[in-house]
Amino acid sequence: MFSAAFDADGFTEGGPADGSDRAAGRMNLLLQTLLDGLVLGGIYALSAVGFSLIFGVLHVLNLSHGILVLAGAYLAFALSKALHIDPLLTTPMVMAALFAIGYCFQRYLIQYAVDRSQLGSMLLTFGVALMMENALVWGFSPDMHSLTPSWAFSPLRLHGLTLDPVRLVALLTSLVLLGVLTIVLQRTSLGRIIRATAQQTLAARLCGVDVQNVFALTFAVSAAFAGASGIIIGMVLPFSPSDEGLWTLNAFVVVTLGGVGSPGGALLGGLLLGLVYTLTAQYIGPAFPNATMFLILVVMLMVRPNGLLGNAFAGSR
Amino acid sequence: MKRPVVPLLVIVAGTVLAGLAPLVMPPFSVRLGQLVLFYGGLAVAWNILGGFAGYRSFGNTAFIGIGAFTAGLLQPYLQGLQPLAGFVAGLVAGISACMVVSGLLAYPILRLRGAFFAIATLGVAHVCAELTNNIDAFQGAMGLTFPEIVPFDWEPRIFFYELYLAAAVITLLIAWFIKNSRFGYGLLAIREDEDTARMLGVPTERFKALALVISAGLTGGFGVIFANSLGYITTNSVYRDDTSLNLIVYCLLGGVGTLFGPVIGTILLVLLIQLVLGNLLDFHLFATGLLLVVLVLVAPDGVLGVIRKWRLKRRLAALEQA
Repeated sequence: MFSAAFDADGFTEGGPADGSDRAAGRMNLLLQTLLDGLVLGGIYALSAVGFSLIFGVLHVLNLSHGILVLAGAYLAFALSKALHIDPLLTTPMVMAALFAIGYCFQRYLIQYAVDRSQLGSMLLTFGVALMMENALVWGFSPDMHSLTPSWAFSPLRLHGLTLDPVRLVALLTSLVLLGVLTIVLQRTSLGRIIRATAQQTLAARLCGVDVQNVFALTFAVSAAFAGASGIIIGMVLPFSPSDEGLWTLNAFVVVTLGGVGSPGGALLGGLLLGLVYTLTAQYIGPAFPNATMFLILVVMLMVRPNGLLGNAFAGSR
Repeated sequence: MKRPVVPLLVIVAGTVLAGLAPLVMPPFSVRLGQLVLFYGGLAVAWNILGGFAGYRSFGNTAFIGIGAFTAGLLQPYLQGLQPLAGFVAGLVAGISACMVVSGLLAYPILRLRGAFFAIATLGVAHVCAELTNNIDAFQGAMGLTFPEIVPFDWEPRIFFYELYLAAAVITLLIAWFIKNSRFGYGLLAIREDEDTARMLGVPTERFKALALVISAGLTGGFGVIFANSLGYITTNSVYRDDTSLNLIVYCLLGGVGTLFGPVIGTILLVLLIQLVLGNLLDFHLFATGLLLVVLVLVAPDGVLGVIRKWRLKRRLAALEQA
């Protein structure tokens, strides 16, 4: 899919045909691939954490997740154009906007399907995704866009490894945001309420938690983080409205690999997915990352359906 | 086992009417009829696993693709045969390939439930498409051509219409047979409560696998006919995510798990999209999404569900008056 954007740079082939040099080149290639994989993985992790949260708390498979990611990217695109600022600086505005959108979306639409079958909420979110994708096509045309900032391409070199600043910033931002979410979930009262609702919705309700409100807040937080990840994605890769399915699927894979409901699980799953992607693209062939990914996904679902880190929230049943 | 005869009569009457219709229909309507029969048949096939057993596949397009490409790759070896015999050989091969592949997939995939099953099938479709496109032997990127199979005195449009009709009717008959068989009751039990069904002695694993294999085989058959009607296929023309998803919407609109629901849903939606929104191409995605949202919120059991509820209410009202 977009592995090309990642293995186009980095490795510089050639050098003398000296044996030790070639070994060093192979080593460098491996390290570079791993490095690219980690950067990509950080982005995956951030883009999936909201999906994971909704799945863990509401037990809704949010198929409109990818479109929320893209909404963040397009919003940043429009804002940075309008205000003439760096896309990264639009992050707070985008997150606030998507927080509000997510809250209303859950409260006034998805809530009506939550209590029904899982398929109902899945199809509802899918329907919304289709509508929003169409709306994005109307608003921004179906063409590729990107948020590449002016300082993007002055690669840092370190012992033959290259890393351009935009990727470094992307990785750091992802890690910081994931850290913030962890603190929110673990240390604040909102986080405590969200975790309690995830563990046992009924018990939380009995303790006086306004569950509907918590659901909406969870959705809002998750949408905000999806939007933030959209900005990061837009800075590193080109995007178009039809990418939404890809980002939903990626989120699902990350969550399945890492485990539902926790930033830690999303981080682990994301990094693994990133590594699988770049390693497959580099050593097996640029055409096979998806096939490998789904093979791993299916094996994972059979062997350890709760993900590597297990279900972080669910109480014992 | 006593089977209700009324649906069978409806099927026979519908077949006769639909079979004679092209004689008086204008060309555009015949083309529209092809679409309805193609998607209607696919929806009925999806319904065997997705509606009767409750395992909602999001990747049925995989079997359209496998069927089409098996038949296509076989064509060079069938040069000596009559075109129509070559088509039948391709059809048999395509259906068999789908049944074998789905039989192999059944074990890992049918262990997953609900949303996990849905995503895994979506994944299977993506992987199949990607492999077809990237492995040179399958020629997915370059494309495959099919020979002309229409007998000389037929109009191709009407020939394929009747072919789709035959396939759709066979699919519908199989669905009718399954729905009223011990096997069908087993699938229903699986849909309602798989663990209990298993406890009560329903061979759930075997029934689910059988339903998947039948559904996949029928889907593959439609894939072969579709490929022949196109004449030239590439990966992108037969592996289409929107087809998989449309099938679900058709079934949902008509009524999931009912015999005629998928057909009714397909007729309604295809006519809506092609006739009402025919000139508003930019609006199709939005309309489908909106319809999906409204359906889930207002009529989760589809058109047939609404009718059934309405009739139940009337009967209750009549009882109260009496």
